[in-house]
Amino acid sequence: MGLLYGLIAVGLALIFGLMDVTNFAHGEFLMIAMYRSFFLFAFFAIDPLLSAPLVAAALFIFGAVVYLLLVRFAMRAKANAGMVQIFTTFGLAIVMRGLAQYFFTPDYRSIPQSWLGGKTISIAGIFLPEPQLVGALVSIAAFAGLYIFIHRTDFGRAIEATREDPGAVALVGIDKNRVFAFGWGLGAALVGLAGAIMAVFFYIYPDVGASFALIAYVTVALGGFGSVFGAFAGGIIVGLVEAVTALVLPPSLKSVGIYSVYLLVVFIRPRGLFGSI
Amino acid sequence: MDKDFTARRRRDLIIAALLALIAALTPLFVKDVVVQNILILTLMYAGLSQSWNILSGYCGQISLGHALYFGLGAYTTELLFTKFGVLPWFGMLAGGVVSALIAMGLGYPFFRLRGHYFVIATIVIAEIGLLLFHNWEWAGAAMGITIPIRGDSWLKFQFLRTKLPYFYFALALCCLAWFVTWWLENSKWGFWWRAVKDNPEAAESLGVDVFNSKMGAAAVSAFLVAVGGSFYAQFVSYIDPESVMGFQFSLLMALPAVLGGIGTLWGPVLGAAILIPLTELTRFKFGGSGRGIDLIVYGTLIVLISLALPRGLLSLFSRPKRTGAVR
Amino acid sequence: MSALLETRGVWQRFGGLVANSDVSISVGRGEIVGLIGPNGAGKSTLFNLIAGVLPPTQGSIWFDGEDVTNLPAAQRCQRGIGRTFQVVKSFETMTVIDNVIVGALVRNTVMKEARRKAREVLEFTGLAARADVLASDLVPAEKRRLEVARALATGPKLLLLDEVLTGLTPTEAQTGVALVRKVRDAGITVLMVEHVMEIVMPLVDRAIVLDLGKVLVEGKPADVVRDPKVIKAYLGDRHAVGA
Repeated sequence: MGLLYGLIAVGLALIFGLMDVTNFAHGEFLMIAMYRSFFLFAFFAIDPLLSAPLVAAALFIFGAVVYLLLVRFAMRAKANAGMVQIFTTFGLAIVMRGLAQYFFTPDYRSIPQSWLGGKTISIAGIFLPEPQLVGALVSIAAFAGLYIFIHRTDFGRAIEATREDPGAVALVGIDKNRVFAFGWGLGAALVGLAGAIMAVFFYIYPDVGASFALIAYVTVALGGFGSVFGAFAGGIIVGLVEAVTALVLPPSLKSVGIYSVYLLVVFIRPRGLFGSI
Repeated sequence: MDKDFTARRRRDLIIAALLALIAALTPLFVKDVVVQNILILTLMYAGLSQSWNILSGYCGQISLGHALYFGLGAYTTELLFTKFGVLPWFGMLAGGVVSALIAMGLGYPFFRLRGHYFVIATIVIAEIGLLLFHNWEWAGAAMGITIPIRGDSWLKFQFLRTKLPYFYFALALCCLAWFVTWWLENSKWGFWWRAVKDNPEAAESLGVDVFNSKMGAAAVSAFLVAVGGSFYAQFVSYIDPESVMGFQFSLLMALPAVLGGIGTLWGPVLGAAILIPLTELTRFKFGGSGRGIDLIVYGTLIVLISLALPRGLLSLFSRPKRTGAVR
Repeated sequence: MSALLETRGVWQRFGGLVANSDVSISVGRGEIVGLIGPNGAGKSTLFNLIAGVLPPTQGSIWFDGEDVTNLPAAQRCQRGIGRTFQVVKSFETMTVIDNVIVGALVRNTVMKEARRKAREVLEFTGLAARADVLASDLVPAEKRRLEVARALATGPKLLLLDEVLTGLTPTEAQTGVALVRKVRDAGITVLMVEHVMEIVMPLVDRAIVLDLGKVLVEGKPADVVRDPKVIKAYLGDRHAVGA
């Protein structure tokens, strides 16, 4: 579970790190991904595992479009820039939730049978539910891929450079908007991947994003905004804390553990665990 | 020149008094219960947003966790009433004091945080409060508290047959919050807060006690919001964790101020006057369908206004004197 | 005559880096003292130690006969130390007069008096005409002057000026120099950090040259500029040639 949190969070971290914008509609991106996965299954009987790349690709386009249509303008605001970004993405979240209710109805849906659903696998006597295991593997693969992408490819380096100094990058002839749009697409695609996997073992409903969004913010902040590795580590910590609190406290209080850990961490390290200045 | 300034402040006060008078007279013409309801909520949110604005707008500490204080006010009042028979009027005061104290207690660790870390911490702390109340048996846990109503009574501040007392209380709350803001705006605190928002380091160098400025703002803000929470509990006469401490309250306190003009005297009132009726109307018109049209309308509005008018609606009215002429 | 400000054996280390080592300087009442030195000499660090942004690693700072080493910046301001910032830090969403009122509130708790004091300071610094303009709409030179005005409004005994004259056009710099003299004539002691020697030297009564975190030379400006150690420290820096 922790790795999936990490996967959700890393998309957010990427967007934040790239341009200092917090996407408050991140949970809704996840929701959309889950629905897409659901419908691909319901209409075309494509198993979520197979459709995951399709979902990720669709979310990539969606993220890029959101950037080009909305966020690009929000970033130009001269006054109250922080507020404008927060409330633009917040408004977007509300619209997306409304649209989901309108088109998909507020009903809870789930994917009844898939290749993975409900099976467990036994490793050294410990039973692990298969979907979670696959989720973890996909997450690790995605992290590895992202890491390589950012550090080894030209475009990844362009992203890093843009993040450090957008002005200088423009001089070298890189189009800032293209890089940012790509960053948003990539962030959304990662969430799409997470959504596709989670569609297998979570109920899908219009507000589903909200319950994960806060955890995603906590994860990102825990790791330190903008740090990909931090989001990964943050995800694992959050997963562990959740598992531990589930043992000690009643289930309805399990998030309290995560939140408390967040508060503790930022009180001691106001920039998160791996955050730089 | 300073005469201009005094004149402007006096003008604000007179306009406010006139608006309050007009508002006070509306129930004479508006008899429809639904509309009255909307008016009450509008006034309440105007007051709440005005209070939120003190900490987040003037002092610049953006809180998206004010639902915590709202809920604390509601719960303190109703627990005192149902368990110990303390009249809501005292409960209101107690709720305010409890919230202010908690706000200051939280301030110690919280005000060291900056930017997004602070905002997320405020969301998280309100969420923790919500979860704790969910699991607190004595306080009714998820079931909440139903306030026993035995007829109309000013003493117990509960009314079945008329909404007017609620209306006037909401109006009074709104006026109080406005007046407190008006008064603080031209005080040492007001100047300190704005200085802290704009540049804490420079403020410090000019003798401003940055930490205590934030504490003061948090306490005043939390107190007023908690009084609003107490009022709301009496008004709806049933509370549970979601219905008084849910995240939507944090949002509904912030939005009017943001739409109207954050950190301004009139922003929250203007924002609430537009936003709350709109929210209620869309919910009333489309909400029943459960198909989310209200959310779509509402969300679109937020996006458009924050993109088009980053300084809030109030910026439409401010004359271009801001740029000033060189003499 | 006891000095207004004294640093006694002040050290400041950042990790392994020593920014100030064993700095002992004193500023007498009514003086204009220039704190100069090449880039990275530790001027800004010393300046921040005096203003109270951070406590020194070692040593003590005395102001007006009192040990202020562990007082935070806000309290030093109340004791009578006013400062400006090298990178201007105006309160951008506030008007010019409101900026100054924040400073004036240190010694005037009644709003009316604070406002009157602020008005006075604006007249003094020549910003009165711009009183109701937003600080963000000022031109850079005016922002510098606003910094000085704000600090003056706190009613300081000692005014710390951090490169207020750097980066101004010659005319603007001349106005700045006149303002500093005016401040001193009003009975306020001035300690100014400046990188550009030729501007400060005619202005100051005494110059203290820092190099590599240590006091290199101090004395009358005319002697200081001729000191071979100073010339060597500044060598390669075009301003040394001018001086």
